[in-house]
Amino acid sequence: MTIIVEMHGISKAFGHNQVLNSVSFSLNSGSVHALMGENGAGKSTLMKILAGVHQPDAGQVKINGQKVNLLSPRDALDSGISTVFQEHSLLPNLSIAENMFLGREPLTRTGAIDYDAMIRDTRRALDELGLDLDPTRLVSTLTIGERQFVEIAHGIEADASVMILDEPTAALNAADVEVLNTSIRKLCERGKAVVYISHRMEEIFNICDTVTVLKDGKLVGEQAISDLTPNVLIEMMVGRELTSLFPARSTMAGEVVLELKDIQLTENARPLSLTLHRGEIVALAGLEGQGQQKLSRALIGQHALFSGQIRVKGVILELPFSGITGIRRTQKLGLGFVPEDRKEEGLFLELPILHNIVIGLHSRRAAIALVRKYRPVVADIMQSMNVKAPNANARVRSLSGGNQQKVLLGRYLAAKTDILVIEEPTRGVDIGAKSEIYRLLREFTEQGGAILVLSRETLELIGLSDRLYVVHENTIVAEMLAIEATEHSILNAALKTDKKAHYA
Amino acid sequence: MRKYIDILTRRNTRQGAWGFPLLVFLGICVWLSFNTARFATIENAENLIAQAMPLIIVAIGQMLVVLVGGLDLSVGAVISFTTAILSLDAPTIVLLPVVFVLAALVGLMNGLVVTRCNVHPIIATLAMQYMLLGATRLIRPVSGGEIPQLVLDSVSGEFFGIPFPVFWGIVVVLIAWKLLYRSRYGLHLFAIGGGMASGQTDAAHNFGIAVRRNIVLAYVGSACFATIAGIFLAGRITSGDPNVGLLFELDSITAVALGGTQLSGGVGSLQGTVIGALVLALMSNGMNLVNLSPFVQTVVKGGILLIVVGLQSRKKMGL
Repeated sequence: MTIIVEMHGISKAFGHNQVLNSVSFSLNSGSVHALMGENGAGKSTLMKILAGVHQPDAGQVKINGQKVNLLSPRDALDSGISTVFQEHSLLPNLSIAENMFLGREPLTRTGAIDYDAMIRDTRRALDELGLDLDPTRLVSTLTIGERQFVEIAHGIEADASVMILDEPTAALNAADVEVLNTSIRKLCERGKAVVYISHRMEEIFNICDTVTVLKDGKLVGEQAISDLTPNVLIEMMVGRELTSLFPARSTMAGEVVLELKDIQLTENARPLSLTLHRGEIVALAGLEGQGQQKLSRALIGQHALFSGQIRVKGVILELPFSGITGIRRTQKLGLGFVPEDRKEEGLFLELPILHNIVIGLHSRRAAIALVRKYRPVVADIMQSMNVKAPNANARVRSLSGGNQQKVLLGRYLAAKTDILVIEEPTRGVDIGAKSEIYRLLREFTEQGGAILVLSRETLELIGLSDRLYVVHENTIVAEMLAIEATEHSILNAALKTDKKAHYA
Repeated sequence: MRKYIDILTRRNTRQGAWGFPLLVFLGICVWLSFNTARFATIENAENLIAQAMPLIIVAIGQMLVVLVGGLDLSVGAVISFTTAILSLDAPTIVLLPVVFVLAALVGLMNGLVVTRCNVHPIIATLAMQYMLLGATRLIRPVSGGEIPQLVLDSVSGEFFGIPFPVFWGIVVVLIAWKLLYRSRYGLHLFAIGGGMASGQTDAAHNFGIAVRRNIVLAYVGSACFATIAGIFLAGRITSGDPNVGLLFELDSITAVALGGTQLSGGVGSLQGTVIGALVLALMSNGMNLVNLSPFVQTVVKGGILLIVVGLQSRKKMGL
C-alpha cells in the first residue's frame, strides 16, 4: 500500500466564511476512504480542491510525492484524479463515447476524430463496469444512475488512480448500488484509491476501510473503520455548544394551520405527514439535501409533488399545484415564503426598502388598482423590526445581511401573513442580528403566526423551534420535541433509519 | 404514425429536426412541377442553384455561431463589404487574400467582444454591421467598379455540362462537413453549445476545452463563409454593390432555424442548414414562377418559418 495523494495544511475561505482550516488528508492505493462530517463541515470543498474546481488559499497537494497545482478539473484528470460529483457534468447532446473522450479525442492519420477507437475503448470501459450500454447513445437519453456509471467509466478510461465519489448512491436503486459496490472493489484490487462521500451509515461500514471526519472545517481524525462503531462515528461528527441566542419557547399551540398528508416528494419516496399549529415554530432538520427544500418548495409550487394532500387552514389545495397560480393561492391563504438565497430569490437589491416591503401588499391587489400610500405602514414595520437604515428610500443592496433579512420578513409581516415558510433564516447574518431575528420570529408566532423553518445549522433549529421533524431520503423519519433533541439524536435518527424507523 | 413523426422530428440526436423541412422542400418541388410549366426544367434548376448558393454559404457560417449559442448579424454587411473591396482597382492576387484577411479580422473582433467583454452577440454583431455598412459606402457609395476576371469566370462557366456554382456548393459543403463532423473543433462546438443550452456553462471548460477561443473561431468562420458568399455574388453581379448583402443576416438565421438548428446552441446539422437555405430559395423561385408579389412572398416566408419551427418539437433533447 502506497500513499497516492497527500493534502497538507489546506485552508480555504469563501468571503468571510472560513470553510477549511488547515486540513490534512491522505489517500492510500487500494483503499476506500470515507469522508464524513455534518453539513458545512467542508467535505465537498476539500474534494473540490482535489478535483481542481477550487484552489486552496494555503497548503499543498502532493500526488505520488510530487507537488501539483490543480487549476482545473482537466489538470486533476491529467494527474489521475477523476470525480463523480452529485451535480452532473456530462454534456447531454454528446454520445457516451464523445463525453468519454471529450478534450482528448484520438485522431486518425488524416487528422479526423477516430470514432472507431473511441467507441471500442468506451465499450471496454463500460464492460468493465458490467454495463450494457451502446456507446453511441446520447447522454440525454440515459437515466441518472446510468450517467453516474458513465462518469465512473470516464475515470476508468482516463486511467485515473484516484476516484472521488460524492454521494454516488443518492440516485441509484438497490441493484445499481450492488453493481457500484462490485466495481468499487474491483478498482481497489487494481490499486486505485477511492474517496467515498455518503450519508448512509451502512454503506460506509459495508464498503469503506478508512474514515476521515471533518467538523467545522477542521480535521477531527482519521481511523480504520474496523475500530469504529456507528455511534462512535456520529460522536466524532457532532459536539458543538448550544449558544444562548434563542428566546424562550412557546407555551401555547393553537389550531392546525398547515397539514400535509401522505405526501410523496418523489416517486420512490416513502409518504410523509406533517402538521403545523398556530403559535408554533416547527423545524425540518436532517443532513443537507435530503428533501427539506423539496418540501418547502412544494408549498409554493416549485417542486411538483408525486402525490398527497396539502391543507392550508382547512382549505385543500389540489394537486398538481402549479408554480404561478400555486403561490398566488397560498399567498391568499396567508402563507409567506422566505427563500434561502434572499439576494437572488427574495429581494430586489436595487430597489429601496419601501418597494421591497410594499410589493408584498401590492401583489395581493388587482394589477390595475390605484396605488395606495403605504409609507406609514412601512415606517411602522421598520421601527418594530429595528431595521437599521437611514430611511425607507435606502437601497436594499446597501444594507447588511441581517437588515436585508429583516426587510424580507417585513414584507410578509406588513402583508399580514400568518404562516411563514423560512429557509435558512440567518444565512450570512452576523451574530447580533441573528438573535434579533430569532426574537422577531418568536414574536411573530406569539401573535398567532406559525413558522416552518429549515436550516443547515442543526443547532439553530434545536434552539429556535418547538418541534422538529427529521428529514432523510425525501421522507420524514422522526419527530421530536426540540427541548429533548440533540445534534446527536437528530443525526442518529437520520442515519440509522433502517434500524429504528418511526414515522411521524 | 407516432413513430414516423418521431423520425421526422429527429428526437434524441443532436442533428436537429431536418427531416421535416426536407419534406416541405420536396412538397414545394412536387407542387411547382405540376402547377408551373417552367419549374422542372434544367434551365430553372441551374437558376435556382445559382440563386440559392450565396444563402447556403452564409447560412453554413451562421450555423457555426448559432451552435455555440450566438448570432451573427454582420454577415450581410460582410458580403457587401467584400464586393466593394473586390471592385477596387488592384491586382487579383492582392484582392482575394485581402478580403479573407479582412473577414477574419471582422470575425475576430466580433468574437473577442462577445467572449471577452461579455457583450450580447446581437449587440456586438449589430455594431459591427453598422461599421461595415458605413465603411462599404465610403469605398463604394453606389454600385460600380470592376470585378477581377478570375472571379467572373469562376461563377459563370461550366465543366462537363455542370455549371460552376454547383462546384462552389460542393467545395463549401465538404469544407464545412470536415470541420463539423470530422474534426475535434466541430465536436467542441457542439460540446460548448450543449453546455450552454443545458445550463452547465462550465461543463465544456471542465473537460479541458478552450471555450472562449473556440467561440471566437466560430465568429471568424462565420465571417469567412460570408466573404466566400460575397466573392460569389460579386462574380454574379459583376460589380461592387453596397446593397447586395442586405437582409442576408436575417435570411441566414431563418435558413438555420428552418433546418432544425436550435438557437440555444448544441443541436443542429449541416444538411438541415442546406435544406433550410434551399427551402427559402425555392420559395422565392416558385413564387416568382406563379407571379406572386414580392411583398406577399415575404409574408409567406414568415409564416413558413413559424409553422416549420413550431412543428419541430424543439427542446426534446433534454437541452
